[in-house]
Amino acid sequence: MLLSLVAASSSAAEVPGLELFEKRIRPALLEHCQRCHGADKQQGGLRLDSREGWMRGGDSGPVIVPGKPQESLLMHALHYEDLALEMPPKGKLPAAILEAFESWILAGAPDPREHHGEAESDAPPTVEQGREFWAFQPVDEPTQPPVQNTTWPATEIDRYVLAKWESAQIPPPAEATDEQLVRRLYFDLTGLPPTPEQIRQYRRDPSPAAYARLVDRLLNSPRFGQRWGRHWLSVVRYAESSGGGRTLLFPDAWRYRDYVIDSFNNDVPYDQFLREQIAGDLLPHEDWQQRRRQLTATAFLLLGPTNYELQDKDVLEMDIVDEQLDTLGKSVLGMTIGCARCHDHKFDPIPTADYYALAGIFKSTRAVIHSNVSTWNTAPLPVDPAQQAADDAAREKLDRLRKELASAEQQLVEVGGQVKKPGGASIDPKTLAGIVVDDDQAEKVGEWKESTHTRGYVGRHYVHDQGEQRGRRRVIYRPELPAGGTYEVRISYTAGSNRSTRAAVQVHHRSGQATVAVNQRKVPDTEHGLLSLGTFVFAADPAADNRVVISNDGPQDGVVIADAVVFVPVEDVAKTPASDAAQARQQRRKTLAAQIKRLNDQIKKLEKRLAARPKVMATTDEAEPADIPIAIRGVVHQPGPMVPRGGLQVVSQDPFPAIPARQSGRLQLAQWLTDADNPLTSRVMANRIWQWTMGRGLVRTVDNFGSMGQRPTHPELLDYLADRFVDGGWAIKPLVREIVLSRVYRLSTEATPAARQADPNNDLFSRLPRKRLHAEQIRDALLAIGGNLDDTLEGSTIRKGTRSEYGYQFTSTRRSVYVPVFRNRLPEIFEVFDFPDPNLQSGSRSTSTIASQALLLMNHPLVMDQAAAAARRLLERPPEELSTRIDYVYRQVIGRTPNPSERQVLQRFVSEHPDGPAAPSTWADVYQTLFQSIDFRHLF
Amino acid sequence: MLPSLSGRRDALKTLGCGFGYLAAAALASRTNPAQAAAGGVQSVNPLAAQPPHFTPRAKRVIFLFMQGGPSQVDTFDYKPALAQYDGDMRRFDDARVLAKTKEIKSHRVFRSPWKFKRYGDCGQPVSELFPHIAQHVDDLCFLKGMHTDGVAHGPSTLFLHTGSINLIRPSVGSWVLYGLGSENENLPGFVTLQPSMGNGGPRNYGNAFLPTRYQGTAVGRAGVPAEQARIRNLSNPRFSADQQRRQFELLRSVNAAQLAQHGQDQAMEAVIQSYELAWRMQEHAPGRFDISDEPEHVRRMYGIDEKGTDDFGRQCLIARRLAEAGVRYIQVNYGDNTNNPRWDQHSNLPQHATHAFNTDKPVAGLLQDLKQRGLLDDTLVWWGGEFGRTPYAQANGTGRDHNPYGFTSFLAGGGVKAGFSYGETDEFGHHAISGKVHMHDWHATLLHLLGLDHERLTYMHNGRPFRLTDVHGEVVREILA
Repeated sequence: MLLSLVAASSSAAEVPGLELFEKRIRPALLEHCQRCHGADKQQGGLRLDSREGWMRGGDSGPVIVPGKPQESLLMHALHYEDLALEMPPKGKLPAAILEAFESWILAGAPDPREHHGEAESDAPPTVEQGREFWAFQPVDEPTQPPVQNTTWPATEIDRYVLAKWESAQIPPPAEATDEQLVRRLYFDLTGLPPTPEQIRQYRRDPSPAAYARLVDRLLNSPRFGQRWGRHWLSVVRYAESSGGGRTLLFPDAWRYRDYVIDSFNNDVPYDQFLREQIAGDLLPHEDWQQRRRQLTATAFLLLGPTNYELQDKDVLEMDIVDEQLDTLGKSVLGMTIGCARCHDHKFDPIPTADYYALAGIFKSTRAVIHSNVSTWNTAPLPVDPAQQAADDAAREKLDRLRKELASAEQQLVEVGGQVKKPGGASIDPKTLAGIVVDDDQAEKVGEWKESTHTRGYVGRHYVHDQGEQRGRRRVIYRPELPAGGTYEVRISYTAGSNRSTRAAVQVHHRSGQATVAVNQRKVPDTEHGLLSLGTFVFAADPAADNRVVISNDGPQDGVVIADAVVFVPVEDVAKTPASDAAQARQQRRKTLAAQIKRLNDQIKKLEKRLAARPKVMATTDEAEPADIPIAIRGVVHQPGPMVPRGGLQVVSQDPFPAIPARQSGRLQLAQWLTDADNPLTSRVMANRIWQWTMGRGLVRTVDNFGSMGQRPTHPELLDYLADRFVDGGWAIKPLVREIVLSRVYRLSTEATPAARQADPNNDLFSRLPRKRLHAEQIRDALLAIGGNLDDTLEGSTIRKGTRSEYGYQFTSTRRSVYVPVFRNRLPEIFEVFDFPDPNLQSGSRSTSTIASQALLLMNHPLVMDQAAAAARRLLERPPEELSTRIDYVYRQVIGRTPNPSERQVLQRFVSEHPDGPAAPSTWADVYQTLFQSIDFRHLF
Repeated sequence: MLPSLSGRRDALKTLGCGFGYLAAAALASRTNPAQAAAGGVQSVNPLAAQPPHFTPRAKRVIFLFMQGGPSQVDTFDYKPALAQYDGDMRRFDDARVLAKTKEIKSHRVFRSPWKFKRYGDCGQPVSELFPHIAQHVDDLCFLKGMHTDGVAHGPSTLFLHTGSINLIRPSVGSWVLYGLGSENENLPGFVTLQPSMGNGGPRNYGNAFLPTRYQGTAVGRAGVPAEQARIRNLSNPRFSADQQRRQFELLRSVNAAQLAQHGQDQAMEAVIQSYELAWRMQEHAPGRFDISDEPEHVRRMYGIDEKGTDDFGRQCLIARRLAEAGVRYIQVNYGDNTNNPRWDQHSNLPQHATHAFNTDKPVAGLLQDLKQRGLLDDTLVWWGGEFGRTPYAQANGTGRDHNPYGFTSFLAGGGVKAGFSYGETDEFGHHAISGKVHMHDWHATLLHLLGLDHERLTYMHNGRPFRLTDVHGEVVREILA
């Protein structure tokens, strides 16, 4: 109110500071600030082109406090006082301008610029507005669409599609030929081509049920899971390395791959499948197999492309959470949740608060173990009870042995021995006999550098003189002796080749001092590992000046080390050289030393065995799950208000299930996602199943059901499928079966003129979309036709001893789903034939036609090898007519009988080939050419 | 019919998604059989050259990637204070220490072991590491206020190439090819010579969500001599020329017969064309990588056949040959496959001399050769690493740690001021303080020089338009000639 009065009545001359504003501030703002904080851009949410702009401020609040430059964020930024906030970014403004800003703010920061007039319509949709959007509406009860032609539909699906044709006046189009249909079905359901025998077998069966029988046979083949599992693996960006800069192998990722393949083969209900992947570690289980399954499933959350090398670990954790949310959002909900990390989603009703509600759940979930280069979380693989019992016994035994070892070591110390820890860098002073004065407790004169470089030092470290300033550095050890008497003085130093050969050590005792020159290159040849300087008599009265001084007075031929000095009462050493007691003690030391060695060996063996226990990538809840604050603009170090954990408000009006104390909330999230009333989960998956059979989704943007995605071409059909899916207990195979049994699936890929006219983009499925074979199908087909496809199921397939994906040679002939998927290295055939980038969540693939595909099929050894192998197999067949042989080869590669002109071209080639029609090289040419041909790579 | 200019603008406005959408739509229509059918089948190369947004200053880019992070204070950013305070312990906000511990600690100021001298009419100081490049300073434009994101090699290398540390984004070369297409039908439009397999590897020349045709073509890889570097599968390892031709003729006949069955269909035509292009590449591309026809004096200019400089010299010469042939984006890599690549002298800073020696003469040779042939006018040369190095010793040792806060890159040709230096770092060469150019700003400027507006070069993916500079980047107008 006050400000507006001032502004209303002001003119430049009357209001102090306003002139300054016009002369200096307005031009400076215009030149240096408004490009990023004006009408075009609002970096950090801030506008500086109006008074209202800076009063409201940006993400960090108001930037100017009138009258108080010190409290104004703007001045901090202009002065470059905070590394994270230096404005303008291109360079600090001249001092004169900074002074002007200061005076202006001191004068109350008068600013005559009016409201900048923000367009309200730019605001993102509210949650309430968002619920109106089709995707968030409840799934409709299916109603049978009315059709005129009641004879054509064979299934419900057909009615929905036909109804659209009828309104577009498209007559039912032609169906595919038997040959086309068989090839289509084999590739779609198993990813492999039918053999000529399988084609003949189907064509010979006149029964109307033949087609359904084939469908069932293929659905029940283990190859179904290999093909369909691969679809899911792309959706969830499956890979066997972390990608990013320093890419790390995921040696246990294959277990997740096998879990997915198994789930498709066993038709695990989709809701259960999701619950296991999101919260498998938290689900109850009846036996170890179930526990193993469920734990393995959670690798879903850990398989992301992650830069484990990132040095700011807070940022790393939030990046992982972001990646998990992004993948979960797109794959399960068809939502780009990630946008809301930094600001309310621009297009979809997802406020930033929803993002952090979900993020809190994953922040409460342990996914990463920190180190300079961090790693993902793992758990021991659940094993059968017998092995578990054996492992438990081994662990118990290990505990027992460790206790025995500790006791033996204690006894050894008591009889004057010293414990040498195998591989241990540091010696615990408590394990040494006598009074220990470590370098920590000693007085140092001159500069002594701490180090832990050489192993075998007492306590936390040793110190050294850096080989400098000879004669000017010393370390003085003063023991607190319990009583006067004779002590043996021992010193420890970490021997090494760069050490002094004559380090000067003085011992000040009751009757004077002695100097010993110590060769610190030599390892002391004593049982206790320390060097004995001799025995000396020390007084115990407070006036006594008992000390040992290590100095660098000696010749400077190496560094001088000062570690610990130990005073061992002589009665603890051997009293008389040959006494029985001493001999007994020495004998005891020997026995103990042998026992310690034996124990150490046993322990090492057990540790090794337990370490070899297989692991699984898995999540677990953090010890202290909690809500998290909004990170302003997505910057982790700028916390905003706290948000209770939960789901997306727009999806459900019901409150999110309560999260019990000390739980992350993943279990509740999994329940919320798979609730039958969640309209997205069932629609998104039903759409994917349609896409994986029909070639494209009813919603073409299969990963995006938001406002920037496409609308369903057949909303009623989509809801029918989603409803069937949930009603059928979320089983996938029955839905696939229903789709491939429809007449729509059996349509020809050729458009009729009427269809082309009325439905140019094939929105109405007036022909089946023609599919280009996927990279995996091309590779598998080559190997199958060459007779070299290795049919082994399951298991780890990264070559043993592989440390890095760089330079990895892909020589396996296993099915493509088992070829390791590295984020920075893929088989060439995958690269050129559009295998989805495993760094990206992607439910659909691009299809490119590029020269490097041609070059690969022309020149790559894999292709030539399979062509040659196929030719050799062909020539093993009984003699047959050339045309019969050509037909066979054509059916083998293209899946159909050649037409006369195709047959003629090949016949002439074979007859005129210089190597002759009986040569394998001739037929290898034929095979390789057909591999390259247009029809091989397409499904008609 | 082509839409009128105003129609196109309206379309942009109503669609609200910019150039990328139209480009994508145009490309889609080229391969969409239904749309092609109306106008008859045309032979369209989806990579054909396309007009830029506005008049370009450069037609192509040669990027000389100095992997590992060359030190600015030992090369081009002369800091007398380092000698003055050599050995002093001073507080520096070290990027790595800060990220790990959020603390500021003391470090030992470390003078450059190399002497600097002023060169050229512009008087640009250059250290004795680069005696040959120093001769060209009047053609160069130095960016001494560069700064970037990330502290480790992986993140910063990806950031340099893709504008993102952790998200999967197309590389600069892919964006350029997407925006401009290629001028040569027989060669790939984006070539990276002997790229490193480390620190992001293929992601540094990957197309990410852009169509596959925009991916960079790797020729050889780091660690394999330039002499053996080839495009993959470009020649048949087993067949004679006769055998190949015979098979190719058969393929033509088979494909023609199959096409006849399906009628006019552009997707199928495209397959046939991909073979024709592959065949032409087999014929023409190897020649571009074979330098045996280059005269002796040219080879000498690049340091070819000389110890140290031979390998990088060959790469630079091939880069010139590719530039001549109209390849749009050429990256020359001085790198290796380790986690501490080439210029990464955490200890033993004097090793910088080896890397400088290996690259100095080849780079100078390339500059001279491009200039002599008039290619420098429309070729933008960019020299630089993923970050710079600290002006103080790392852990008080004998090397320098990574420094993303301030470092130097240099440019030549294609529309940048010659004999010019822009920006500066603080007294020690640690932070850029004026004329600051963030990597995003440089990306924006690079696209600008090629006639592309970085805010309009977008691609729709996952329901929103993406661009190289995300929501950042300012064109550095101060360096435009």
